Amino acid sequence: MPTTPQLGSPPDEQDKLLDEALGIVKMQAFQMKRCLDKGRLMDGLKHASTLLGELRTSMLSPKSYYELYMAVTDELRHLEIYLVDEFQKGRQVSDLYEMVQYAGSIVPRLYLLITVGLVYIKTKPSLSRDVLKDMVEMCRGVQHPLRGLFLRNYLLQCTRNILPDVADTEGSLESEESSTGGTVQDSIDFVLMNFAEMNKLWVRMQHQGHSRDRERREKERQDLRILVGTNLVRLSQLECIDLEKYIKTVLPSILEQVVSCRDAIAQEYLMECIIQVFPDEFHLSTLHSFLRACAELQPNVNVKNIIIALIDRLAAFTQRTKDEGGVISTDLQLFDIFSDQVALIIMSKPDIPSEDIVALQVSLINLANKCYPDKVHYVDKVLGKTTEIFNKFNLERIGQITPVGKELMKLLKIPVDNYDNVLTLLKLENYGNLLDFLDYDGRKALAMYLINNALENETQIGNPEQVDFMLGLISSLIQDQADQPAETPDPEDFAEEQSLLGRFLHLLVSEDPDEQYLILNTARRHLGAGGNKRIPFTLPPVVFAAYQLAFRYYSVKDQDDKWQKKCQKIFQFCHGTISALTKAELAELPLRLFLQGALAISRIPFENQETVAYEFMSQAFSLYEDEISDSKAQLAAITLIVATLEQIGCFGEENHDPLRTNCALAASKLLKKPDQSRAVGTCSHLFWSGKSVASGGEQIKDEKRVLDCLKKGLKIAANQCMDSMVQVQLFVELLNHYLYFKKKGNQLIEASLVNELVEKIKEELPNLENNEESQQISKHFTNTVDHVKSVASIEDHYKDIEV
Amino acid sequence: MSFFGFGAGPDIEITLDGEDSRKKAVVRTEGGKQEAYPLYLDGETVSGEVKMNLRKGSKYEHLGVKVELLGQIEVYYDRGNQDCFLTLHRELARPGDLLPNQIFKFEFPNVEKPYETYTGANVKLRYIIRVSISKRLSLIVKEKEFVVQTLAQYPDVNNSIKMEVGIEDCLHIEFEYNRSKYHLKDVIVGKIYFLLVRIKIKHMELAIIKRETTGTGPNTVNENETIAKFEIMDGAPVKGESIPIRVFLSGYDLTPTMRDVNKKFSVRYYLNLVLVDEEERRYFKQQEIILWRKMDRSRKTFQAELQQQYKEMQNPNIQFSSADPSEDALSAENDESNLTNTDETSPITNGKSGLESESSAAIDITDEELVNGAAALQLDDDVEG
Repeated sequence: MPTTPQLGSPPDEQDKLLDEALGIVKMQAFQMKRCLDKGRLMDGLKHASTLLGELRTSMLSPKSYYELYMAVTDELRHLEIYLVDEFQKGRQVSDLYEMVQYAGSIVPRLYLLITVGLVYIKTKPSLSRDVLKDMVEMCRGVQHPLRGLFLRNYLLQCTRNILPDVADTEGSLESEESSTGGTVQDSIDFVLMNFAEMNKLWVRMQHQGHSRDRERREKERQDLRILVGTNLVRLSQLECIDLEKYIKTVLPSILEQVVSCRDAIAQEYLMECIIQVFPDEFHLSTLHSFLRACAELQPNVNVKNIIIALIDRLAAFTQRTKDEGGVISTDLQLFDIFSDQVALIIMSKPDIPSEDIVALQVSLINLANKCYPDKVHYVDKVLGKTTEIFNKFNLERIGQITPVGKELMKLLKIPVDNYDNVLTLLKLENYGNLLDFLDYDGRKALAMYLINNALENETQIGNPEQVDFMLGLISSLIQDQADQPAETPDPEDFAEEQSLLGRFLHLLVSEDPDEQYLILNTARRHLGAGGNKRIPFTLPPVVFAAYQLAFRYYSVKDQDDKWQKKCQKIFQFCHGTISALTKAELAELPLRLFLQGALAISRIPFENQETVAYEFMSQAFSLYEDEISDSKAQLAAITLIVATLEQIGCFGEENHDPLRTNCALAASKLLKKPDQSRAVGTCSHLFWSGKSVASGGEQIKDEKRVLDCLKKGLKIAANQCMDSMVQVQLFVELLNHYLYFKKKGNQLIEASLVNELVEKIKEELPNLENNEESQQISKHFTNTVDHVKSVASIEDHYKDIEV
Repeated sequence: MSFFGFGAGPDIEITLDGEDSRKKAVVRTEGGKQEAYPLYLDGETVSGEVKMNLRKGSKYEHLGVKVELLGQIEVYYDRGNQDCFLTLHRELARPGDLLPNQIFKFEFPNVEKPYETYTGANVKLRYIIRVSISKRLSLIVKEKEFVVQTLAQYPDVNNSIKMEVGIEDCLHIEFEYNRSKYHLKDVIVGKIYFLLVRIKIKHMELAIIKRETTGTGPNTVNENETIAKFEIMDGAPVKGESIPIRVFLSGYDLTPTMRDVNKKFSVRYYLNLVLVDEEERRYFKQQEIILWRKMDRSRKTFQAELQQQYKEMQNPNIQFSSADPSEDALSAENDESNLTNTDETSPITNGKSGLESESSAAIDITDEELVNGAAALQLDDDVEG
C-alpha cells in the first residue's frame, strides 16, 4: 500500500527504491513467463498482477516512475503476445476480460484490463468500440496524477494501432458498423475523453504538496507533458478526421478542455501542440476559434509564443503553397483575421508586457510580408496599430536595449529588410511615427540601418518628397536631437556615422536636372540645420553634387535655353552653402570648395562666368587672408590657389592681373623664408602657363616675370636661409624650376645661370650632415642630373648645361 | 465398526441415482477443507439405493433397517442441540436377516427442501441421507451428505441504490449501485460522484461484508466477515469527479441472503463503501444488498454484457429488460415491473435514509454524535484498520 504521499525521496534513495522495484519486476516477469510457457495462464496472470503492483508506489519521482513503467510495460508485452497467440490458435479463454477484473488493487487491475482488452480487439476487431469505451471509462478509477497519467498513457500506447479509422458515412447500417467495430468517431471520443482526463490529472499535479516545491513540481510537469500531448498526436494520426470533423468536433473539444483547465503550463503547451500536430489546412479554417481561445487563456500564459508559432507556420505554409503554384483561397482574409484577433487578445489581457505586444506585431508583419508581399498597407496597418497601442500606454523614448526596444527595432527593420528598398517605407505612413517612440540611440541605430540598406542596394532617392521623407526618418543623424546625451560623442564614431551619411547623400539623384536641383535644395535645408560639427561632413557632398549638376546643364545646353541662368543659380546655391561652412568657422574646407567651384565655373561658359568665378576666387583669397594663420596651412593654401588660378582661363586681364599679383604678393609675404622661396618659385608658373581672356586662352609666357620670380626665390634661399640643409634643398627645387622653363623655351634662362646653381649645389652637398634628409636631397639632385643628361642626349634644350 | 459385536458388520454403501452425472457443489467443511457433494434443488426427488456388503455366505441379524432424509441446523457453540427442520424416513427391512449384497432401493419424491446448505462461522446447515441398522444393543449408521441450493425467482422489485451522504463541509458524495438485489454471478455496477472534497483522500474501496447472526434475544451472536475488499479508486479525486464501480460477484465465495432460517440464524450481506484519507482515517457507508441464487443459464455474449455494464455505469438508475429470451421464461412478469421502475426518478433505497438523503445529512468528523442515522457517512479509525 502506498503510504508516504507525493513527496519523492532524495536521489540516492530513489535509485535504491527503483532498483528494488525493478528487481521484483524482473523476478515476477520471469515467473510469469515460465507459467505461460507451461500454459498455466491463471498463475501467469497472478505474477503479472504482482509485478504490476510495483506501479502502485508513491515513493518514486516521475523520472524513476517512468523507468519503472517502461520496465513493467515491456514485460506486459510478453503477456500480450502470448494471449494474442493463444487466441489466434483458437484457445480462447472465456471470461478473461472479467477474470482480470477480480484483482483487488485497482492499478494492476486496470493495466491487466487494458492488456486483455487489447488482445480482445486484436483478435476480434468488431469489439473495438465497446472495449475502448469500457477501458477509457474504467481508468477513471485512478485519480492519482502520476499513476493515472502513466496508466492512461499505457492505454493510449496499446491502442495506437487499433483505433478504428473508418469514416462514418451517413446512413451506414448498424451491421456494417458493428462489423468494423466502430468508426473514426468512436476513436475521437475515446482519445478526447482520455485527453481530458489526462489533462485534468496533469493540471492537478500543480496543486499538490507544498508551495515551496513549486519550482520542482513545475519542472516535473514539464517532463510529463509529452504524455498529455500524445493524445493530440494520436488524433492527428487518424486519417479519417477530415476538415469538417476537425472543425465540428475535434478542435472545439480540445479547446474547451484547454481553456477550462485554467492552468498556464497546460494551456501554453497544448496550444502549441495543436499548432504543431495538425495540418496547416486545418489551422487555416479554424483561425477564428483558435485565436478566440487564445484570448481566453490565463493571464500568465505567454500568448505571444503561441500566436507567433501559428503565424510563422501559416506564413511558411502559404508561401510554400504559392511557390508550388498553389493558390490560397482569396476569401480567407488571413491577415485581417490575425490582425483583429491579435488586437482582441491585447485588449483582453491588460497585463501583457509591451514587448510581447510588439513581438506579436512583428509576427503579424512577417505574415503580411510572406503572404501578401504586394499589400504594403497591411504592414502599415500593423505599424499603425502598434503606434496606437504605444500612445495608449503612454510609452515614449523606448530604450533600444530594453525588451520592448529590441522588439520594436525588429519590427522596424523588417520592412527595410523585406523590401530592400527604403522608398517603400514612403508608403508606410506610420513608420515615422513609430520610429519616434525610440530613444536617441535607437533612432540613430535604425537610421544607420536604413542608410546601409540604401547603400547596399544603391537605392536612388529620386525626388524631393522622397528626399524630404528619408532625411526626416534619419534626422537623428542630421540634426541635434532634444533627447541626445549631453556629452560629446566619440569623435571616431561620430566621423564614421557622418561619413556614412555623406555616402548616402550621393544616392540623392534624379535623372531630371531641375528635379535634382530641388533635391539638393531640400537636402541643403535638412543638412544646414546639422550644426557646426556635422556640416563639414554633410555639405561638401551637396556642393559637389551641385557642381556636377552644373556640368549636366552645360551638357544639355541645346535642350534647355535657360541653362545659363540655372547654372548661375546653382553656383549661387553653392556659394551660399560654402559660406555656411565659413560661418561655421571653417577655413580650409570652404577655401578648397571655393577653388573647386572656380575651376568648375571656368569650364562652363555661361553669361556671368567671369564675375562668378572672380567672386569664388576672391572668397578663397579672403579666407586665405582672414582665416588661415598657420604657416604650413598658408603655404598649402597659396599653392592651391596658384594652381587653381593657373588652370582658369576665363578671366580678363583686369581680373587676372590682380589675382596674379596678389598671389605673388601673398607668396612673398609668407612668414618663413623657405616657404617664401618655394611659394615664389611656384608663382613663376602663373606667369608662364597661366591663361586669360587677353591671351586668348593661350599661355601667357611672360619670360621676364618668370625669371624674376625664380631669381627672387633663389635670392631668398641663398641669402636669407640659415640652415644649409634647407638651403640646398631649395636650390635643388629651384634648379628643377629653371630646367623646366629652360626646356619650355624661356629664352631668358641662361645656361650659365643654371650651371652656376649646379656648381653651388655640388659644392654644398658634401658638407651636409649625413642623414636621411640629406640623402633624400642628394638623391633628388642626382635624379635631376640624370634627367638633364638623358634629355641632353636627344634634344638640345640643355646643350649648354654642364652637369 | 466391525470390531464391535460378533463378526464383521455389513459395509453399507449409499448410492444416489445418477450420482455420477449429477452436478456437484463444493462445500466448505468445518475444518476448512472443500468437498464436492451431489447437488439437489428444492422439490427434487431424492432417490437411490443402499447396498449391504457382507462376506459371502454369512448372514446378518438385525431389528430393522431404515433410511432417513434429514435437514439439520447445527449451531457450533450448542452442539448438543441439533435442530432438524426436515425428517423423512422409509423402512427398508423388517427385523430379520440381511443377505449378502442385498440392495434396497429408496425414494423420497418431490422433497421440499426449504433452505440452502450452508457452512458458516458459527452455524452449519446440511442435508444427509442416513441409513441405520438397528441391533439389540447398538445402531449401525451410515450417512451421506448432499447439497441443496435454492433457486430464487427474479425479485419483484429491484431498484438501484442511490444515496447522497457526507460530512458537513468536508466530504459529500453521491453513490449509486445499479440494483439492490444481486444474484450470485451478478455484477455490481455503479458510480460515485464527488460533490465536495475537502479532505485528502488516498483511496477508496468497496467491501462485501457477510454478517452471520445466530441465536435470538440476548443470546444473539453476530459474526462479520469481509468477503471481498475491492479497491475502486486510487488517489484523491476533486469535486465533480465520477468514479465507476464494477465488481464481479462470481469471483467471491458468496451465498444467498438468508433470513431467519428456521428461527436459528440469518446471513446478510452488506456493501461497505470505504474512503481512506491520508491520515488513514476511514469514512464508510454500509448498505445492505440482497443476494439470491439464479438458475444457471447461458450467458449473454461478452459484447452485450459489456454494453449493458457501460450503460449502467453511465446511469446506474436505468433498468434493463432482458434481451435474453432464456431469462424471460423465468421472469416474464418480473420484467414488467422492472420496466415500470425505469420511470422512477428517486428510487426507494432503504426507507429512512431515502428520505433523509435529500438533505444530505451528515455527521461530524468526531463521529460521536450521529446526526441523521443511516444517511450519514461514518468515520472509523479502528475498524479494519
